[in-house]
Amino acid sequence: MSLADRIETYRRHVSEWLRGLYHGLVSHPAYELIEKEAEDIEDEFMLACFPDVFGVPSPISYYTAELLPYLTDEFEAWERRMWDRGSLIERKGQQYHF
Amino acid sequence: MKKFVFFGGKGGVGKTTVSSAYGLKSAKAGLKTLVVSTDPAHSTSDVFDQQFGDEPAPVEGHDDLWAMEIDPEQEVENHLMEIKRAMGDQVSPGMVNAIDRQVEMAHQTPGAHESALFDRFVDVMQNAEEYDRVVFDTSPTGGTLRLLSLPEFLEGWIERLLHKRKRSIDLFEKAAIGGREPRRMAEGDPIIARLQERKEMFEFAGEVLRTESAYFLVLNPDELSIRETGRAVEELTEYDLGVSGLVINKVTPEPDENESGRGARYLRDRCRTERERIEHIRESFDESVVAVIESRVEEVKGSLLDEVADELDVAVEPTPKSASQPSSES
Repeated sequence: MSLADRIETYRRHVSEWLRGLYHGLVSHPAYELIEKEAEDIEDEFMLACFPDVFGVPSPISYYTAELLPYLTDEFEAWERRMWDRGSLIERKGQQYHF
Repeated sequence: MKKFVFFGGKGGVGKTTVSSAYGLKSAKAGLKTLVVSTDPAHSTSDVFDQQFGDEPAPVEGHDDLWAMEIDPEQEVENHLMEIKRAMGDQVSPGMVNAIDRQVEMAHQTPGAHESALFDRFVDVMQNAEEYDRVVFDTSPTGGTLRLLSLPEFLEGWIERLLHKRKRSIDLFEKAAIGGREPRRMAEGDPIIARLQERKEMFEFAGEVLRTESAYFLVLNPDELSIRETGRAVEELTEYDLGVSGLVINKVTPEPDENESGRGARYLRDRCRTERERIEHIRESFDESVVAVIESRVEEVKGSLLDEVADELDVAVEPTPKSASQPSSES
């Protein structure tokens, strides 16, 4: 392996590292933040659709039930999350990287 | 007269009789008429002595007259089955159980019946092109009023859901910049499509109920039904659905002059109080009284129905929109 090749490989490593570092420190947390916000709104959406899960009667649960086949995965996860109050605070805390 | 005509009122005042008679009258005027019964205690079948089902069927012995009876119970069941079928297509069997409970529960809420009935209502309205006139014999006051107020209320609700869903998807898409696959996409999202579809349905229903429908209230000359009618008029006006007229049914017939027995005295007394009440109705309601129908000894059916139909002073001719050929005036 020539010297030029070795320098090339070295530079590639460094640049990948730097990109990874940037991604981990700056861009990923930013994406994550937006994604968490999106998840929160989705939770609100689920709550508005299925308040009867928590005993609040909903005049439109008859209609929102139609959405369930397409929301199965979200629904189960959401239900579990909502029932577990401790984890809700924990989840909120996750949005902040100290 | 508008294409869709609703007859409402307190239980037992004779809505079915009046709406059947009106249907008959319309059919006799040459309009293809459909009578839709939404009362769970169906009696259209009794009036015409013929069993009707969920699909329009021609009424025997009458041209241009069709009838159907909506069974909300069955509608709820159909809706449930449809969702379960969609679930079978979409979801792995393992997950079905978790969701099943929720779906079942949604179909046992107090609103489920109303929603199912409402859906069928809208369905009938959407597929009523071949009829010139659709007469709705509705369930007693409370239920019907709630039903008619649904579109506006539900529209707002669906609107909010739609907004939330769109916002969360928008954020998911934003979070996916840099060539990553977003977790959810607005394009082809079945939830948005579904909600949009529902919203359009409610808008359609609201529009038809406000612009293409006429409402008549049936009452008897007694305090209870007069008061309930007053409340119904108020509520309907609140929803922007004006009442076109009142039908006073089951008025006691007056005895002949020369009769003086106990029965005749009783009838005369009764007639006097009823006349006062009818006067009271004419004075206190802004809506005009379109018919005063005497009570019959027998069940109103067959030829008696014709008589009642003649007594109805309700216009029959269709609205300008569909009135191309001259039809007989009442």
